[in-house]
Parts: sequence; structure tokens; C-alpha cells
Amino acid sequence: MTDTFLTAEDVDKSFGITHAVNHVSLQVARGEIRGLIGENGSGKSTFCSLLCGIYGLDCGRFTLKGNELKIHNQVEANKQGISIIVQEMGTLAGLTVAENIFLGHEDRFIRYGIKHTAAMNREAQKLLDAYGFTHINATLMIDNFHFEDRKLIEIVKATYFKPEITIIDETTTALSQHGREELYKLMEATKADGRTIIFISHDLSEVIQHTDTISVLRDGMLIDTVQSDAVTEDDLKKLMVGRELNKQYYRTDYESAAGDEVLLEVRGVCVPGQIEDISFDLHKGEILGFGGLSECGMHELGKAVFGASFDRKGTVTLKGGVRIHAIPDAISHSIAYASKDRDNESIIVNSSIRDNIVLPSADDLADHRILHKKKLDRFAVEHAQGMSVKMTDIDQFVSDLSGGNKQKVVLARWLGKASDILVLDSPTRGIDVNVKADIYALMDNLRLQGKSIIMISEELQELLGMCDRIMIMKNGKINAEFSRSPALNEEDIIVKML
Amino acid sequence: MTQRQTPAKPAAVFFEKLRSFFSNPHVKAFYPLVGLLLIITVFSIMTEGRITSLRSIRLILSQVYPLMIACTGVFMVMTLGSLDFSQGSIIGMASIVVSALSFYSIPLAILGGILTGAAIGLFNGLIHVRFKIPSFIVTICTMYLFRGLCAYLTTNAPVAAMPSITALNQDWIKLLITCGTLLVTFVLFQFTKLGINLKSIGAGEMAARYSGVRTDLTKVLVFTAAGLITGIAAFVNVVKVGSITSTAGNQFETQILIALVLGGLPISGGSKVRFSNIIIGTLISLILSNGLVMLGLDTALQQLIKGVIFLAVVALTIDRKSLQVIK
Repeated sequence: MTDTFLTAEDVDKSFGITHAVNHVSLQVARGEIRGLIGENGSGKSTFCSLLCGIYGLDCGRFTLKGNELKIHNQVEANKQGISIIVQEMGTLAGLTVAENIFLGHEDRFIRYGIKHTAAMNREAQKLLDAYGFTHINATLMIDNFHFEDRKLIEIVKATYFKPEITIIDETTTALSQHGREELYKLMEATKADGRTIIFISHDLSEVIQHTDTISVLRDGMLIDTVQSDAVTEDDLKKLMVGRELNKQYYRTDYESAAGDEVLLEVRGVCVPGQIEDISFDLHKGEILGFGGLSECGMHELGKAVFGASFDRKGTVTLKGGVRIHAIPDAISHSIAYASKDRDNESIIVNSSIRDNIVLPSADDLADHRILHKKKLDRFAVEHAQGMSVKMTDIDQFVSDLSGGNKQKVVLARWLGKASDILVLDSPTRGIDVNVKADIYALMDNLRLQGKSIIMISEELQELLGMCDRIMIMKNGKINAEFSRSPALNEEDIIVKML
Repeated sequence: MTQRQTPAKPAAVFFEKLRSFFSNPHVKAFYPLVGLLLIITVFSIMTEGRITSLRSIRLILSQVYPLMIACTGVFMVMTLGSLDFSQGSIIGMASIVVSALSFYSIPLAILGGILTGAAIGLFNGLIHVRFKIPSFIVTICTMYLFRGLCAYLTTNAPVAAMPSITALNQDWIKLLITCGTLLVTFVLFQFTKLGINLKSIGAGEMAARYSGVRTDLTKVLVFTAAGLITGIAAFVNVVKVGSITSTAGNQFETQILIALVLGGLPISGGSKVRFSNIIIGTLISLILSNGLVMLGLDTALQQLIKGVIFLAVVALTIDRKSLQVIK
């Protein structure tokens, strides 16, 4: 198989300061099943989105059979023979199964400007039956089907026209064993047909078993492409995570500053559909990490501790017996929260830096409920400068700031509030290296001052680098607990995540 | 790719400078004031000075009081990014209550009007927050509900107030009430946490909630306050007209909305609202209405002109970046 089919040359994409795909070049042969693996945020999905035109390229190009691809959206991609089954829900509610399958390709059923629905339904049913999904009725609304069936419908939608290249982005997680078997069969048939598949999955054994070659991405860069029959899961994990850690970046010590004093007691916390029966203690001066796959419930746990979850059961109790039920309780008792969804939940983007910093502390700054502008200004300037936020003045709107500076504003407001417990969800998400280092240094500093931090992160390196203890969550429950030690490595942790 | 350097034309540079000057937020803040001065000048010339005569100023002022009072409450609602279309029906209902109670005692009448307004506002706020229905839908519904009730109560005859109540129809009393309302709201908005909280909810409700703002409670209180303040406007209205017909307060909600938008209030609310929007907006809107009448224009033509101006101002002032759905 030497004839080059699909080529990516120097493909590059940045989102603001995040370099999502960093000058990647690779070749895929005709009739090859290529695995694409890497950690969260390593650029797998972005790479595929570039290939099928969901995002535009910053530079570089794709060629298929020697012709450069110029694609601006998915319908165009389909016409050029590229198709994708996306990670998220790719079907549209409110349409029938048949309408979903032929979305963007309705032209073939249109006669004299009128859509021939019966013909479309017939055709769709024929396809479903041919795939062996006879239990799905093409005329029903998509809303009648659960997640797995919708994924199956999406598979039909993405492959019925026999595309040259099919991208399967993390689809198997949504499928049961039976659905997976169907998908593997389809992949084999496609390969036998001389067409190509790009297969993305977190399940490494599945990747090794069902692909010919595997490309590994890390931090947007292509690390290596290996033959699937010549590697083990451990080899792949090493390729995925094996970066040379910059020792200055994280904490260097392995002694905990935490005593036995428990600052926060979480008991039996449940949020229906998200987390189940979570209990733990947070000690004074401790950085407690939560890790896992992004859907494991750890993000919801942060909200639950902060009193922001709807319909939470169980108790969150502070030292001294105060129970946290709602956000104002949490804030007035010195708990701070920085959300993963920074622009919507952490910060008011269409508002000034001053108002953002002052907002939680307004009560403390008031004299008999009256606020003085000068005092507010002084407070905001002090804390913005304390965090060295790059700004023109405090009246500047937060929407003008970079991700890192936004996060600095978030931290500035909570430092201003003198919070004792900080719940930081993905605190360095989408932030450049320098600000990351600042944030790690700040966390280390706060820890030594006797403040406690709950750090939730999808990046294992930073959990390993910063935390006194790490709890790994899986399917909404705590699956494992690790203590800080030089011997602890990512492989041990990944096993508990998957 | 090769980049060709074209020498910039002086005219282009000049226009670019001009553009950046006019889009500077500090300059933009003066647009409404410039608009007010412009409209006064234009109508002074077109009516040959009649609009600045004492008689016409008194006429305009008599319309300013109730509108400016009611605008104060709706200003807070719109800062949240919400809308309130029930104001006209609140004027109607509260006026009926004021008239009916005026036979017992004037303070009781005032209190009754205020409580009626507050009750309708509370109803709006609770439905909006509890059932998560957008405020413009809720308030359109309450508008029809209370308009209907007003019509029913005034079916046989207008509800008359005690005749002597019109003795209170004096400029200084109405001015005092108006200034008092403005002053209290100004202090609350500018010098307490309320202002920051309202702007924060308007700019980003979710983030405001995560910053500790009790968003639901604040919304209910603001809708109640808007109703309460319009209850005060109803008293001023009764003092002026003496008896209430079924059309009392008709179209008042649109007058308020137009006044605030002409005053430069962004329709999406949020951090860019200014208290001066209320005062300038009310004046612009009423001078415009009265000026068009004085010019002797046909009613249909007047409405057409107002519509065009309103659309133009919205198009100029709207903040497209932060405009999501009106809550």
C-alpha cells in the first residue's frame, strides 16, 4: 500500500493563543484504517475538523488523490468524498430519521421544487435495513431514539454515499458492545472496498485491534506514526503523555503543608445523572486534585461544592458546622470558584474589569450599604495589579482580554475576597505557558499561606505536578485516590480513569 | 503572498480618525445629549420658537412627570436585559384604585396606587422567574389581563376621583414627586450594590449567579419596584385627569420603551446603561411628539416619522456583540 491517498502538509491552526494543531504533516494510504490518538486537547478533533472544513486552515493544505482540497463546510466535504461522525450529537432534533440522513442532500428528492418525502423515507429505510439497523423506522422523529440509535443513524448518514474518507471521532463510547461490533464490521467492509477510515478513540485496546496504523498527537504536534501490530497499549501511553516535564514549572517539593485540620467535609453528595455519593475531606493548606475523563463528573463536583448545582443531595459542611446550600452561602463563607466555562460562568465578559473584581466583595466594601466609587476603584486596581493583569485601565471591558488575563481577573476577584477555599476547575485551560506558570506559583503560595485548593483538571501532568492528593473519578464516582509521591506516574492514573 | 504597500490617502486617514473618534465610548456617551440639543434646535427653528414658549414648556412638562417616573422603574428592568410591557395596564389599574380610594383619604389613595402597582409587578416577576418565561411574554400577557380588567371596571362609566383631588395638580407637587423618585432610585442605583448587581445580570446572568448575585430574587424585586414606581406615576396621572376611562395608560408601555431607547439605553441592558438615559430620553421623546403636533402634521405621518427615528436610533445604539435573547 504505497500509493498516497490523503496527504496533510504542514497543517496548522490556532485559537487565539492556543496552538491547537501545530504544523502537522501526515500521509494516509488508500484502504487504510488509521488510528488517531492523544490526550484531551492534543488536537485530534481539531485536525479532523480542519480536514472536513468545519474550521478554516491557518496554513498548510490537504490533498486527496493529488488534488488540493478546498472545503468550507460539511456538505462540500461530503461532495468531495470526506465524511465525519462527530464526537457530539450529530443529529438534529425535530427532524425525522430520513430527513437527518439526507440533510444537505435533499436535492435528489426534489421534483419541480417539491420534496418527495415518501421517496426519501423509502430510500432511508432501504439504507437502514442494508446496514442491519432494521429496528429503526425512517419516518419517525429523531427524538424518539436514544443516544445509541442516534449514533447508528449518524453512521448511516455519514457513510451511505461511500465517502473516500470516513472520520470516526470518538463514536464508540456512545455505543454498546453490539453497536461497536456493527461499527467494526462496517470499518472492515469499507477497507475491503479500498476506502479509508480515520478512527479516533480513547480506548487504546480497541484502537490497536481495529486499525492498521496509529498516529499519536500531543499538544497539537504529530509525535509518531506506528504500525498497530507492533505496539502495546503501554507504548502508546508513553507516546501520548511522555513529555519531558519542566521541573521549574510545578511544585518541586513532596512534603505536604497540610495538617490534620479539616476545613471542608463533603458527605454523600449526589447530583442526579452527574455524580453519585461523593465523600471526601479537604484539609487546611492542601491542594486536592480531581481528575478523570471530561465526562466523569468532576466538573459537576466543583459546582456541587460551591452550592451551584441544581438538585444536589448530600452535605457540604465547613469547619464549625456551617452547611453550604447555595452560592451566596459559599461566597460569604470564603469559598471561591473558577469555572471551566470561564466566559459564561466565571466572569462577566461584557462588563468592566472593575465591576468583575468588585462584584463578590461589594458588601464588604460598603459603609452602611453605601458604596464609594473611589474605594471600589482602589480595591480593583490593587487586586488587578496584584495579579499583574495586562490592561489599559480597570474600566476596560473583560471581552478585550486574552484567556490568561481573564483568568487572572477571576483569581484577582477571589483573592480580593480573601477566600480560604478555592475550587479551581481547569484553571489553566486555554492559557499560555507563562500565565500557567504564574497560576501554579500562585497556587503554591496560597497553599503555604494555609489556604486550601480543590483543583479539577483534565490534564494529568498538572495534577501530578501540583496536588497533595489526587482523586480519580469515573462514571460519577471516586474510583481511586493517590498521594503525592515522586514515584507516582501517569500510567497508574490513566488505568483508573478508563 | 506579497503585500503591496499603498500610500494612504489623506482623506481616508481623516475619515478613519473621524470614525474612531465617533466610536470612542466616552464620545458615544454624549450622543443622547447631542440628540436632545439637536431636536430642541430643529423644532425651535421649524416652529419659529413656539416650542420654547412658556405655555408649550408647561404642556410638555405636564407630560414629562408621569413618563419620567415610570421610566425610572423600567430603566432598572431593562438594565437586567428584560422588558416590561405591562406598564400601561399598571397605570390603568393603579389609577382606578387611586380614584376609588381618593374619597377616603389622599394618603390612602397614594398608598393604594403604589401597592396595586407593586402587586402587579410582583406577579410579573414571580411568573417570569418561577416558570422561566421570557419577561416580554409574561408582561404582554399581564398587559392584556389588566387592560381587560380596566375595561370591565370602566364599562358603565369612567371611574371618577374625588373632584377636589385636581387641586393637587400643581407643578411643584408633581415636580417634587418626580425628583424624589429619581433621586431615591439614583442613590440606590449608583451608590449601592444594586446597580452593580443589575448591570451584572444584564451583562451575563450566569456569571452573575456564580459571583454570588441572587439573580432570581433580584429580578422579582426589580419587577416589583417597577410596578411600585408606576403606581406613583398613576397618582400623578389621576391628579391631572380627575377620572379614569378604559383607555387610561394606553400605549404607555411603548412610550416608556421609546423614551428609554432614545435616551441611549442599550436594549440588551448590561454594563453600558446610564442613569441619564431616563432623563434625556423622556425629554427627547416628548419634545419630538409635541414638536410634530405643533408642526400640524397629520397623525399618521407623525407616527411614521417617530417609527423611522426609533428604528434609526436602535440601529445606531444596539450592542450587537452582547445582544442575545431579551430575557
